[in-house]
Amino acid sequence: MRNKKSVKYAKYGYLFSLPFIITFLIFSLYPIFYTLVIGFTDMKGIGATKFHILDDPLGNFKTVLSNRTFKMALKNTVIIWLGNFIPQIVLALLLTAWFTDRRCKVKGQGVFKVLFYMPNIITAATIAILFGALFAYPTSPMNDLFHSLGWAKEPIYFLQNKKLAKGVIIFIQTWMWYGYTMVVMISGVLGINPEIFEAAEVDGANRTQTFFYITLPQIKTILLFTLVTSVVGGLNMFDIPKLFLDGGPDNATITTSVFIYKQAFAGSYLYNRAAAASVIMFIIIAIISAIMFRILKEDDPESAYAGKKRRVRNAEK
Amino acid sequence: MKKRRLVAGAMCALMATTLLAGCGKSDDKETTAAPATDTTASETDGGDDTTAAPTSGETVNINLWSFTDEIPNMVQKYIDTHPDCGFTCTPTIIATTDGAYQPALDQALMGGGADAPDLYAAEAAFILKYSQGEAAQYAAAYADLGIDIDAKIKEADIAQYSVDIGTNPDGKVVALGYQATGGAFIYRRSIAKDTWGTDDPAEIAKKIGGGSGNLDAFWTAAEELKAKGYGIVSGDGDLWHAVENSSDKGWIVDGALTIDPKREAFLDYSKKLKDNGYHNDTQDWQDAWFADMKGEGAKQIFGFFGPAWLINYTLAPNCGGEAVGEGTYGDWAVCEPPIGFFWGGTWLLANKDVPAEKVEAVKTIIEWITLDCTEDGLQYMWANGTLNGEGGTKDCVASGTVMAMSNGELDFLGGQNMFDVFVPANQYANGKNLTPYDETINSAWRDQVRQYSSGEKSREDAIADFKSNVGDVLDITVD
Amino acid sequence: MQKNKHYTGMKVVIYIVCIFLAILSIFPFWIMIINATRSTYEIQQHAISFLPSKFLVKNWNILTGKSFNVLRGFTNSMIISVCSTALNVYFSSLTAYALVIYDWKLRNAFFKFIMAIMMIPAQVTMIGFYQMVYKIHMTNNMLMLILPSIAAPAVVFFMRQYLQPTLSPEIVQSARIDGAGEFRTFNTIVLPIMKPAIATQAIFGFVNSWNNLFTPMVLLTDQKKYTMPIMVSLLKGDIYKTEFGSIYLGLTLTVLPLFIVYFALSKYIIAGVALGSVKG
Repeated sequence: MRNKKSVKYAKYGYLFSLPFIITFLIFSLYPIFYTLVIGFTDMKGIGATKFHILDDPLGNFKTVLSNRTFKMALKNTVIIWLGNFIPQIVLALLLTAWFTDRRCKVKGQGVFKVLFYMPNIITAATIAILFGALFAYPTSPMNDLFHSLGWAKEPIYFLQNKKLAKGVIIFIQTWMWYGYTMVVMISGVLGINPEIFEAAEVDGANRTQTFFYITLPQIKTILLFTLVTSVVGGLNMFDIPKLFLDGGPDNATITTSVFIYKQAFAGSYLYNRAAAASVIMFIIIAIISAIMFRILKEDDPESAYAGKKRRVRNAEK
Repeated sequence: MKKRRLVAGAMCALMATTLLAGCGKSDDKETTAAPATDTTASETDGGDDTTAAPTSGETVNINLWSFTDEIPNMVQKYIDTHPDCGFTCTPTIIATTDGAYQPALDQALMGGGADAPDLYAAEAAFILKYSQGEAAQYAAAYADLGIDIDAKIKEADIAQYSVDIGTNPDGKVVALGYQATGGAFIYRRSIAKDTWGTDDPAEIAKKIGGGSGNLDAFWTAAEELKAKGYGIVSGDGDLWHAVENSSDKGWIVDGALTIDPKREAFLDYSKKLKDNGYHNDTQDWQDAWFADMKGEGAKQIFGFFGPAWLINYTLAPNCGGEAVGEGTYGDWAVCEPPIGFFWGGTWLLANKDVPAEKVEAVKTIIEWITLDCTEDGLQYMWANGTLNGEGGTKDCVASGTVMAMSNGELDFLGGQNMFDVFVPANQYANGKNLTPYDETINSAWRDQVRQYSSGEKSREDAIADFKSNVGDVLDITVD
Repeated sequence: MQKNKHYTGMKVVIYIVCIFLAILSIFPFWIMIINATRSTYEIQQHAISFLPSKFLVKNWNILTGKSFNVLRGFTNSMIISVCSTALNVYFSSLTAYALVIYDWKLRNAFFKFIMAIMMIPAQVTMIGFYQMVYKIHMTNNMLMLILPSIAAPAVVFFMRQYLQPTLSPEIVQSARIDGAGEFRTFNTIVLPIMKPAIATQAIFGFVNSWNNLFTPMVLLTDQKKYTMPIMVSLLKGDIYKTEFGSIYLGLTLTVLPLFIVYFALSKYIIAGVALGSVKG
């Protein structure tokens, strides 16, 4: 029965996807194709329009993979990403649990939610300027603080220290994005049918149980979204590392995107190497995302069935 | 019919000028609504006797690309004061911050068409790319625009380094600057008196080894200043600009990364400054560096290395006052630096594909800014601070002829005529040690120098890491 | 009793954490607004102060004096941000709807395709995009910044993830029985259901578009077309004359409209008019 109807309506699936596809073809296909191709060519230098495939088509890829700065950038990217991804998800989940708890309403949570997302509003350039000022050397609020608390006699060159510089970037990233993650997750939780929670309460589930056994599985799709976009966003991290310390000190905060940017724009216009590095990053991100899909088993038939059953019940009501 | 077209032309000019004036409503002094109206009025006047546009009867519009509003303001000034010049100007200003200017300019040059730049500016950090390097293909030779370049350069006595830098591989001049950026040592008079009992520039030059070509006397002076509780410079960056542009070779020689011995020695200078506490360990263009100009850093700082523009655009606005007695205003003087150098500057280039009808206008602007050595030329006004009325900022300019008839006395320098020091300083300026990638390589170098001087890594490691970092980012040979 | 006590202890922890985070959130805005009233010199001495100074008017004059046309920047940024956000959320919802509700042959392939293009690093496709725009001579055309937002893979992904569990096919079925066309069903029934998701994505999209600096900077070379962030970056780029007070004022002005949009839409973040919560 259902199948027959679906067939009839299938053309709308194509029709409604058409604007997306057309726009994509016009604005993105050429740039993407371009990147893919020049990764295998000798195209570099300003004004380069002619290029030909290298004798060793994988030459650029080999160069990039053996490039010390690229390896450093890859390592940094993973460290900075994990460093902000984990606290960010934990914090966002915790806040989501608190704010959506039906039995323990947090007063003023509206204000809190609005405030927590706010760091995401300011442009990265402003944040870079502010944090630069906060941690400046030799005089800055942070140095004042350390001095007055007696933690340091001499002013500390915070941002000259590789670990601290990385740490500050991790902090900025966490601080900028936990609110976003929280908002996304809360919007997912709010989409859950309240009857499910009521039922859980009746069954005597406590709040921790409710959160782990009811809420989390219910927002699985949104969670998957968060995880995947975080992988994509985190591994393409560009604004803050570029604007805050421009990859320094001593390449301690260079990320792969900053590396790609520098290859392409800062100096030699090595478009081909930049393109090869992009393709490598794409492959890495795709693999990690695929693993996440696998873990969360997006198309788990059983849960889909349960969901459908629930929906039917809902509709009948 | 004809009149109508002229009115339309005037309307266009009106629109263009209002747009140019940007915030026409604000009552600011520089980019004002007032001159805009002047222009319009004159355009209309010109319309009456139908001689408004000398070349084709149409007003042409010049696309001007720059990274500050300096040159656009100059051109606007020219248009305002020459109402019958027959051109308008659409400036595109893209900051060099965040590295945005060059990619945008390159794309625009490549793209061509109506939006393509007719005139564009480049600063010392990347001028070579546009005059001799990869992007030189887009630059028009001044001679091809109809400028009698050799005679003009001779007449104006343009600083040789400015010409060298702006000469393309075929030996043709494609770019010239309007500033001269030979450097000096700019110091605090009160600190000089306290330490050595004199603030006379000639005496102080001796103390720091002015003209000696080495830093021996400089270090002695640093020690003497330290004994009195002063720092000789604000940060190692101050010394770097002197070292960088006094070296014999640039970063790249025959496509290979080269570290000139003078530049390598900077590692030791930086370490010496830091270990002995000769400075406040600031970084140039950072807050703490500016604070030292007002004498509010951890310790009082004796001086800064820099060209004339550093005085007017950086020291003066940050000295904490606007008249003698306020902040450090009036407490400064300039003397010959121990090692000669130059720092910065802006060059002006024309697109070789500039449409025929615009050539005359482009020629006019270039000549006025870079080669006109009369009192009506840009450089005279620039040197004497009269571009926007009396009492403006004075600066060194490229034309020796103009310098000879200009007065560089500044209250900020306690009445000293700064040209006495800066004009001879220009002999040290040469374009031979620049490369198209200086911006990138310098930042990699300074980064490693800081790693070494702060004790994070050894001298050998710093040099090795510098080489490998540069090799990773640029397409040049690294040993 | 026992239970209540447990809640109170819990609540204290919650409030401490929340207030701490809230202070962290307000801090940069506070500094930014305060610094907008301080002189360049004061800021250079102490970048961070909690008390305002009296240079607001002076900073404003410097700001507007530097060909910083606040109104024009505002208008341009608004046009670009509003249009691209509207297109972005509308067409992403439509595409997501197509992915969730219809069974079409290429559906899974299409979804995988969207996921794949979402993962492409932006930094280098940029080069191709700029070259394309310059080649077709469409620089200084705001459409180049607006139209591409129709195809926003990440937003489609979010909308799909949101729609998947919340939208029951039966609702659509009953609309069909009532004789509504597919397109109308989407506009009148599905869009309202997606309100919370649309509101959140609208905020995100608007913020992104408003703060976007690099693309507009390279594509919009005409001063008439400058957006707010370009204008602010110009202030900063004038290296010889760094006017920090005015820069902060400019930054503050850039954030203001975001605040307005944000607070206007924030009720969805606060209350969340979700499908499930509409009871009875």
